[in-house]
Amino acid sequence: MQRMAKFYILLVAILLVITACSSNNGGTTTTNNGTNTNSSQSETNSSSHNSSEKENVTITAWAWNVNVGALNAAAELYKAENPHVTLKVEDIGRLDVYDKLSTGLAAGGIGLPDIVLVEDDRIGGYVEAFPKGFLDLSAQGFEANEAVFPNFKLELAKVNGTYYAFPFDAGPAGMFYRTDIFADAGVNADSIETWDDYIEAGKLIKEKTGSFMAPLDKFNDDPTLRMMLNQLGIYYFDAEGNIDFLHPDFAVAMAKQKVMDDAGLIKDVIGWDGVVSATIDGSVATIPFGAWYYGTIVDQAKDLDGKWGVFRMPSFEKGENHSANLGGSSWMIPSTTKNTDEVYKFLNFFSTNDQVQQIAMTDYGLFPSLQTVYATEVFTSEVSFFGGQKIWELFANEMPTIKTPYYTNDYAIGLDEAIKAQADVFNGKAIDVALKEAAERLASRTDRQINAY
Amino acid sequence: MKQVSYKSLGYLLLILGAIISLFPFYWAIVSSTHVSGKVFAKPPTLFFGDQFFINLVNLNESIGIVRVLGNSLLIVTIYTISALAVCTMAGYAFSKFKFKGRDVLFAMFMVSMMIPFHALVIPLFKLMANLNWLNSYEAIILPSIAYPFAIFLMRQNLFAVPDPMLEAGRIDGVSEWGLFIRIVLPSIKPALAAVAIFLFMHQWNNFLWPLIAVQTKEMYTLPVALSSLFGLSRIDYGQVMAGVVIATTPIIIFFLALQKHFIAGVLGSAVK
Amino acid sequence: MQSKMHVPYLFLTPALVLFSVFMIYPVIYSLFLSFQSSVQGEMVFVGLQNYEKLLSDTIFLKAVTNTFIILVIQVPMMLFIAIVLANALNSVKRFKALFRVSFFMPAVTSLVAYSIIFSIMLMGDGLLNQIIVATGLDAVPWLSHPWWAKMALILAMTWRWIGYNMIIYLAAIQNIDEALYEAASIDGAAKIKQFFYITIPQLKPVILFTAVLSTIGTLQLFDEPYTLTKGGPSDATLTLGMYIYQTGFRYYDFGYASTIAYVTVIAIGILTYIQFKVTGDE
Repeated sequence: MQRMAKFYILLVAILLVITACSSNNGGTTTTNNGTNTNSSQSETNSSSHNSSEKENVTITAWAWNVNVGALNAAAELYKAENPHVTLKVEDIGRLDVYDKLSTGLAAGGIGLPDIVLVEDDRIGGYVEAFPKGFLDLSAQGFEANEAVFPNFKLELAKVNGTYYAFPFDAGPAGMFYRTDIFADAGVNADSIETWDDYIEAGKLIKEKTGSFMAPLDKFNDDPTLRMMLNQLGIYYFDAEGNIDFLHPDFAVAMAKQKVMDDAGLIKDVIGWDGVVSATIDGSVATIPFGAWYYGTIVDQAKDLDGKWGVFRMPSFEKGENHSANLGGSSWMIPSTTKNTDEVYKFLNFFSTNDQVQQIAMTDYGLFPSLQTVYATEVFTSEVSFFGGQKIWELFANEMPTIKTPYYTNDYAIGLDEAIKAQADVFNGKAIDVALKEAAERLASRTDRQINAY
Repeated sequence: MKQVSYKSLGYLLLILGAIISLFPFYWAIVSSTHVSGKVFAKPPTLFFGDQFFINLVNLNESIGIVRVLGNSLLIVTIYTISALAVCTMAGYAFSKFKFKGRDVLFAMFMVSMMIPFHALVIPLFKLMANLNWLNSYEAIILPSIAYPFAIFLMRQNLFAVPDPMLEAGRIDGVSEWGLFIRIVLPSIKPALAAVAIFLFMHQWNNFLWPLIAVQTKEMYTLPVALSSLFGLSRIDYGQVMAGVVIATTPIIIFFLALQKHFIAGVLGSAVK
Repeated sequence: MQSKMHVPYLFLTPALVLFSVFMIYPVIYSLFLSFQSSVQGEMVFVGLQNYEKLLSDTIFLKAVTNTFIILVIQVPMMLFIAIVLANALNSVKRFKALFRVSFFMPAVTSLVAYSIIFSIMLMGDGLLNQIIVATGLDAVPWLSHPWWAKMALILAMTWRWIGYNMIIYLAAIQNIDEALYEAASIDGAAKIKQFFYITIPQLKPVILFTAVLSTIGTLQLFDEPYTLTKGGPSDATLTLGMYIYQTGFRYYDFGYASTIAYVTVIAIGILTYIQFKVTGDE
């Protein structure tokens, strides 16, 4: 048995070594929240002691991809005035952020950061599922910021009248298009005002160049439908949270999409990769999306520099609303944060500072919701990748007239049912039947009322 | 004549199968040598480009590939060794001894393989937090050291160790532990290799748990780091593919090194 | 001689301790969770409500049906082809190692890579359809049609795991007594007959082993639908594994998600039991 004892001692020793190793490697040692003053020891110690009355504070944040860069840039600017504040951003995949956030919240508020990036369509769901999970921003005085954000972003940042998020980027919709394909077909983008114009142009383009008009993951996603609904001033739910699938305009939007498909203008693609692929290879002449799609185009289609343009999303009737929004995110503060005031101050700075939002725009392609930025130079500049067109100006002009898409906390389920209805319609089901069935399924899954018309 | 055609058919099937199996990986390697957009090219780009090092450098900037690779290698190595030890010992207990509760305990291990991990993530996470082990190597390594599949395989292989050999050892006065180390283990080397490969595979590509358990990028493993390259829309596929190539290489090397033993080792366990 | 009673327990202790801490606690916790539901952010005990909800949940039913369809088609097909491949690999003399590594690659290729590659290959005008169209057939709506989407999943799963199973069979085949084949040849039996009447029966225990493993894997299937189809189109590829994830992590109903998980466990248990009984082994 001595041998066995020796073995166990060895095993325990190994475990102790591992423990010792990992504690030194920047792991946080707190359990109940992400903020602590133990990590980034070197940074906080070396900061100046000008503001000696203020304790050194480290703010942790979770964000994905380009947003990380925006945060870091902001943190540097902030540090000039607030040397005691250090930002530590974790770059985590978008869906992974949600998995970690959900797990942390469900576990009772463990391991959460001070700041987390959340897409607007998830805010309602998170707050409803975890009512005590996020900081009440109204109590911190958020209302003071109302003037600088467009109405729809403010609506989306609120749940039951209380603010829970700082608006960040928006997705004003526009029609990205290939200027060369349009030229080959002899179509003038300026002449497209309504969806019907768009369809006519599409037929011509298909005939002359073989390109489809737009890509769509027909059976798995409905971004075009969502933009159309938003244009028409409706969405899956209304402001009261009732199901609006039976609204006459819902059927109008669905029908318009079906007409496009029947005319052979929609290219069925698979998933995000499919959309990007179609964007690059010229198999589609336009892509209706939010302003953020700019980033993908310049990243993945480098060979097509100068061959792009943007025009306004077509409206349903001449003279009616063109603007819509797709996507966009905001910053939320989990309630487990230990530095409420500091974190709020920082986010307030981030969200309302023109310079920060400009950097987010120019360096990272994140379209700001902060209205004051639209007056700055970058928004009137020409974008060479887009043939010198002032695309940012176009998008900025859309922002004021965007209506609120009422996501509610059941957005995920609403999306699921809308996509099913769309798929049914593409497969030949009558629109009113498909919508009615989807509405009923949605009602039974969410216990909401269906608006009758 | 029939023999010849079967053989050719066999070769044809194998070659076809090998090409199909390898193609995606080949395509990943090629894509890692090009700029991001090329990944979508039609027809697919099948020839090597010159962007590999640039992609690698960018990847390193994005996720710190050296650190991340180091984490994965360290974790997997410690895991494989400890899990191999623990599971072999457990398999030995289950196969060579009769004791109270043996079958119930074994059944418990086996049934646990049937539980979808998503259901266990949150309580496990809470547990780790309470133990103050979040964001540590032990958090990632410990939960699956007692890996039921490995215990099962070792048990199967250990059945084949002849009892008379063990009895002879006992009569000679060899301690139980000595018996295990000096007689049992050497006789199941192929099984150890096989199970080591399975354990390595499990931990190398383990994604969900390391994602949840880890809080800072210094502790990321490869799969988690690779996943962080996916934002909403701006994805550098060149970097992603370079990461994939790096992520796949160590395990292939490991498999190549042990494959002869692997075949023999799996054998013992599968044939009851 | 000292008492040997405690020896097995000592060997078992490390595994048992780790298992108790990291498995039993989470299992009990989630089992309790399956009887709870979220009421305004607090988990409240609701008895069998979740389980009752399951019975009338059409989406759950869809997930069950999908998972079973995939199971019934994919597993036998994959295992059979794996045996054929193993047999072929066993009879060739050259490049054995190369073939072995090649077939094993899919099992170790990272999920990220393989999902991007497969999505691009399965597109309407992707590589696979390009090949299909070249042979004169119509392009297949791989991921947009409910039936073909399931096929696409099956294809992806088979690609990923066939080598893994093939190697297991290879090991077993190498262990079959040559004498059996020689005797059969002398009796004039054709190779194909030998395959079906000697090889396969000899592999019975191994087949059971791989079948059980594949069943467990397929019933919990998550990776492929999550990365390739997101459960679509219209839930055609929604598997139990995906539904559990969705319910918990997308709809934040962790109680109900646990319920679905444990019902899945029961299903796996029953199927495993049936498989054992059918092959007449312990």
